[in-house]
Amino acid sequence: MSRLIALVKREFWENKGAFRTTPLVIGGIYIVLTLMFLITFNHFDNEFQSLKELSRWLSQTDPTLRGQIIYGANVAALPGLFNIVLSFVVFFYLLGSLYDDRKDRSILFWKSLPASDTLTLGSKLLSAMVLAPFIFWAIYVLTYIVIMLIFSVVVLSLGENPWTLFLGIGSPFKAWGMLLLSYLAQSIWALPLYGWLMLVSSFAPRIPLLFAILPPVVVAVLQIWIEFLQTFTLKKNLFGVIGEWFANSPFISFVSTDGSDKPVATLGIPLSGTFNHEATVGNILDRLFSVHMLIGLAVAAVFLGTALWLRRRATES
Amino acid sequence: MSNVIEARGLTKRYKNTVAVDHIDLQIPPGRIVGLIGPNGAGKTTALKAILGLANYDGELSVLGKNPAKDRAALMEDVCFIADVAVLPRWIRVSQLIELTENIHPKFSREKCLAYLASTKITLDHKVKQLSKGMVVQLHLAIVMAIDVKLLVLDEPTLGLDILFRKQFYTNLLNDYFDEERTIIITTHQVEEIEHILSDLIFIQDGRIALDCSMEKVQENYVELIVAPDYAAAARELKPLYERELFGRHIFLYENANRQQLKELGELHTPSVADLFVATMSGGAA
Repeated sequence: MSRLIALVKREFWENKGAFRTTPLVIGGIYIVLTLMFLITFNHFDNEFQSLKELSRWLSQTDPTLRGQIIYGANVAALPGLFNIVLSFVVFFYLLGSLYDDRKDRSILFWKSLPASDTLTLGSKLLSAMVLAPFIFWAIYVLTYIVIMLIFSVVVLSLGENPWTLFLGIGSPFKAWGMLLLSYLAQSIWALPLYGWLMLVSSFAPRIPLLFAILPPVVVAVLQIWIEFLQTFTLKKNLFGVIGEWFANSPFISFVSTDGSDKPVATLGIPLSGTFNHEATVGNILDRLFSVHMLIGLAVAAVFLGTALWLRRRATES
Repeated sequence: MSNVIEARGLTKRYKNTVAVDHIDLQIPPGRIVGLIGPNGAGKTTALKAILGLANYDGELSVLGKNPAKDRAALMEDVCFIADVAVLPRWIRVSQLIELTENIHPKFSREKCLAYLASTKITLDHKVKQLSKGMVVQLHLAIVMAIDVKLLVLDEPTLGLDILFRKQFYTNLLNDYFDEERTIIITTHQVEEIEHILSDLIFIQDGRIALDCSMEKVQENYVELIVAPDYAAAARELKPLYERELFGRHIFLYENANRQQLKELGELHTPSVADLFVATMSGGAA
C-alpha cells in the first residue's frame, strides 16, 4: 500500500503542471473574469446602481426557484471549463503514461525498483481515475467559494443580505458532492478509453497520439464505406458506438430534456433512451451497474491486460 | 554458501540471431566479476535475463529466485545501473530519495545523504540540471545506500572523464564492497577495473570464452618478451597469441613451463586487456 502511494505521488510530481497548475490557472481565470466583470460594471454604472436594483429584484423572486438555478449552475454550468480541460489532461496523461519513460530510457531505473509492473500500471490508472479528477474538483470548489465571497462583499456593500440572496440556498455541498460523484463515475465509465490509451502508450514506437486515433478512424471509415456499398444507407459504425458511449456517460453536465421527452446533449445531439439522463445519484449508479458497463469493463480489461503484458516486455531489446 | 547466480543452458534468441547461446554460469557471493566482451557479444542480453528485464530459455536462478517471474521481489536484493543517465530527467533529488525510501525496504537515507555530501549535488537539483557525471554520482549514491546482495553495473562509466571513473571505482571498493556482496561489472575500459576484480568472464558470440578467478589468471597465463632472434624458439612453445612492440616480440602462453620460457626472455603477468585480445583472436587460431 505504501508503495502504491509512493508511486501515485511520483505521478503527481511528474505531472504537476497538468494536474495542479492547469486547474489553478482555470480557477484564476474565473476569478479574474469575475473581478473584471465587477470593475467594468462599476465603471459604466455609477456605484453599482443597476446591480443594486438587480439584487433587490432578485431578493423578491421565489427562493426555491433561485436555489434550483444556483444549484444547477454549481453542478453543471460553472465547472464546464474544468470538465473539458480535465478530460484533455487525462487523455494526454494516459497517452504518455507508459511511453515517456520508454522514450528517455528511464524505464530501466523504474524497473530497478522493487515495484511490480502491475503496481506501476495501477498507480498510473489510479492517478488518471482519482487523483486528477479530485484535484480539479477541489480547485473548482475553492474557486466557487472565492467567487461567492467576492459577490458577498459586493452585495453586502449594496445593503442586501448575501445569505438569503444566494449563499444560504442552492445546497452547495450537495452540488459539490454530485460533481465529485459524477467525476468518479465518469472515470469508471471511460475505462475502455483509458485502457485503450494505456495500451497504445505501451507499444507505440513513436507519436502515440497517431496510434491512438488512426486505428478507430480506419475501422469506422471502412465500416461506413462497406455499409454504404451494401445498403446505400448510413448505419451504426465504430464512430457511432463510441459517440453513443460517451453521450451516455454519467457525466451530468450538458444534458437537458429540451422540452420534449428525448434527452439531448450539447449541440442538440440526441441521447439514447436506454438511460435516464436526469442528474441524480440513482441514475449515475444505474449506469455503473448496467450491462453496458459490464461490457465496457470487459473491453477495458482486455486493453489493460495487453498493456501490462507489453510493459513486462518493454525492456526486451 | 549457495551461489548468487546459477545458470544452466541460458539462451536468448531474437528473431534471427542467438544473442546468448547456452551459457553455464556459477557466481558465488563475495566476488567482483568483470564481464568482458566485444560489442554485440551478448553481455547486456545476459544481464537483462539475470535482472528479469527479458525472457530467456534455459535455467536461471538469481538469489534463489526466478528473475523472469519475480522481478519485483528480486529487486529487493539486487540493484543495477544499466548504462549512464537513465534517471528520469524531471525528478528532483529530494523526490528521488523520498521515492526510493518509500519503495525500497533496504534503502538508508542517511547513507545516501552522506555520499551526496561529498558531491556538488544538492537536494533541490533536478536531474536535468546535472551534468552527466553528476547523474552517475547521484545514481551511485542511491545504489550504494541500498543494502543489496547483488549489484550489476552495465557500462556504468561510459562517457565519463577519467577523474570520475577513478573516483567511481574507489568508492565502490572502499565504501560498498564486502564478503557478502557480489558485484558484476561490464565495461570496455578493462584496464581501469582489472585491479579490483576477483573473477573474469570473457564472453564472445553469446558463449563464454573464459571464466576464471584473477589468481588463476596470474597462475595460468604468462607473457614473454623476447628479442627478434628468439622469436622462432618462442613460437615453437605454442603461444596463444603473438604481437610485436618496438621491434620486440611478445608472446602469451597458457599453462606454460616458466623455467623454459625464462631462458628466452622476460616474463610478465599479462594484463586483462592483452589476455582479452588473445582470447578473442585465439578463437580463430
